[in-house]
Amino acid sequence: MNNGKKLVLSALLLALVQVGFLGWMIVGRAAVLRDGREVLLKVEPVDPRDLLRGDYVILNYDISRLPLSMIADIGEVRHDLVPTHSVTVRLRREEDGYWRAGGAWLKTPPNPAGADEVDIVGQVPSLNLAHVDGEVRVTYGIERFYVPEGEGRAIERDMRVRPFGVRAAVSSSGTAQVKALMDGENMLFEEPLY
Amino acid sequence: MMARYVVRLRQDVERWTKAGLIDRLTAAKLVADAERRDRNSFGSGTVLAMMATLLLGAAILIFVAANWEAFPRLLRVAVLFALIIGGYVGGAVLKSRDHDAFGEAAWIVAAAAFGASMALIGQMYHMSGDESAAMLTWCAATAVAALVLRSGPLTVAAVGIADAWLAGSLLGGLRTLSNLETPLLFLPIAAALFAISYWTRSQAARHLILLSLVAYVTWLAADGDAFEVGFLMACVSAGIFAVAHIAPRETDNIVRINGRLPLHALIAFLVAMALIQVELEGGPGFIIAAAVTLAGIVAALLLQGPQSRGLRGLAYLAFAIELCLIYGITMGTMLGTAGFFLFAAVLLGILAALIIRLEGRMGRSQAERSGA
Repeated sequence: MNNGKKLVLSALLLALVQVGFLGWMIVGRAAVLRDGREVLLKVEPVDPRDLLRGDYVILNYDISRLPLSMIADIGEVRHDLVPTHSVTVRLRREEDGYWRAGGAWLKTPPNPAGADEVDIVGQVPSLNLAHVDGEVRVTYGIERFYVPEGEGRAIERDMRVRPFGVRAAVSSSGTAQVKALMDGENMLFEEPLY
Repeated sequence: MMARYVVRLRQDVERWTKAGLIDRLTAAKLVADAERRDRNSFGSGTVLAMMATLLLGAAILIFVAANWEAFPRLLRVAVLFALIIGGYVGGAVLKSRDHDAFGEAAWIVAAAAFGASMALIGQMYHMSGDESAAMLTWCAATAVAALVLRSGPLTVAAVGIADAWLAGSLLGGLRTLSNLETPLLFLPIAAALFAISYWTRSQAARHLILLSLVAYVTWLAADGDAFEVGFLMACVSAGIFAVAHIAPRETDNIVRINGRLPLHALIAFLVAMALIQVELEGGPGFIIAAAVTLAGIVAALLLQGPQSRGLRGLAYLAFAIELCLIYGITMGTMLGTAGFFLFAAVLLGILAALIIRLEGRMGRSQAERSGA
């Protein structure tokens, strides 16, 4: 009986730790949504074959491709082969309301972001500098938008004829989080905190 | 399987008592012992419970994946969290009341619910990044649960998740943000799970890990230099086979898989030789590789055949396939269909003679052992 009690107790502890871990994930993500700076990103049409897999839309942004020359400290990387690396991209708000990349660094930026600027952290894949023709692909962890089943096709169609945008929240550490999917000025979906 | 053994034993014991080989008291004791062991074993009831559990787990995962909009998602999270807590705690309660199969089943459901929660959180916050890290987290959580609850089935589940992760990263279907998460990471994961399986007394997990390692090396060979990796794999597995044959008790004390290490070594050897033969097809080296394969099969049969029925079955099958392969590649062009039938007949005859001789030898050696 004593043994049984011990087992039940350790099972309870285990369950609480695992649920606590999952809860911590949720709270962390919600904090980005609540406290992060809001930016509006322009969505670019994607090759329709890649657009919809299952019930999410794949999003491609104008900041998903950056000219290699924009990365200020790329010259400091001595090797031809840069492994997967995080990159800090400085976003600036432009007149049409969208935020676009103004500069990028592989290391910590030399000066902090200004009042109308936001730093977002992305990942560049491992790349051979000798074979890159001027552009590099950056992912920010916001390249997916889950939609109610069956609605993806219509969005896919519209995205190719009208400009779409994503309102994203960016935390002070640069983690980005999708807040809302915009069809021009209209908000299609907005995410609650939880 | 065990239940059938008890039935057979009962018939044998009855025959022995009638023949006066053993007395009634010993007969009753023997049957009682077999029946007691049978209750503790992995019976068909456990298998059914596990299958039901897997179905339930799959239902949970699909239920979330379907992006079910009818209920608020916070409710879905709550349901999954309740499943985790209820599964682990309920399983422990069931287990402490001697309902082992249902207890383990409840724990598997809880582990599945953890994976489903990870998927749901990813969906809630439109996370597109790190599928690889998510699967590894799931694997780690399941392994920790196996460790804490000392559960064999959870250990097997963790190995299964690690296998799925390996398959995903080998096929390139998993997104990852980290340089560390290469398929090579499978080796330390496999080592850790192997270690955990001793504590959780899960022989099945160790079997699965060994098979996964063979599969991983096979992929490496097929992906890279098939001859080189295949050669190395054949040598290593032959070496392991030799060690396991010379010191069976010592090796099984280390791996503890009920003396089946030679079987795993033979599987690895056959896969390696198949890779080599495919690589050498059409060249003069093929016939040497084929001869080595046949010699290996016969050696395995002679050395380990008497001890293991599984190994005998595998060796016979491999022998037949190997002869067909040799025929197909070397003689297929020379002989017609009639020739093939003649060849097949001769081949089956040789195979039958070999098997009969071997079984005869086995029977004799067993009789000698029991006579001594």
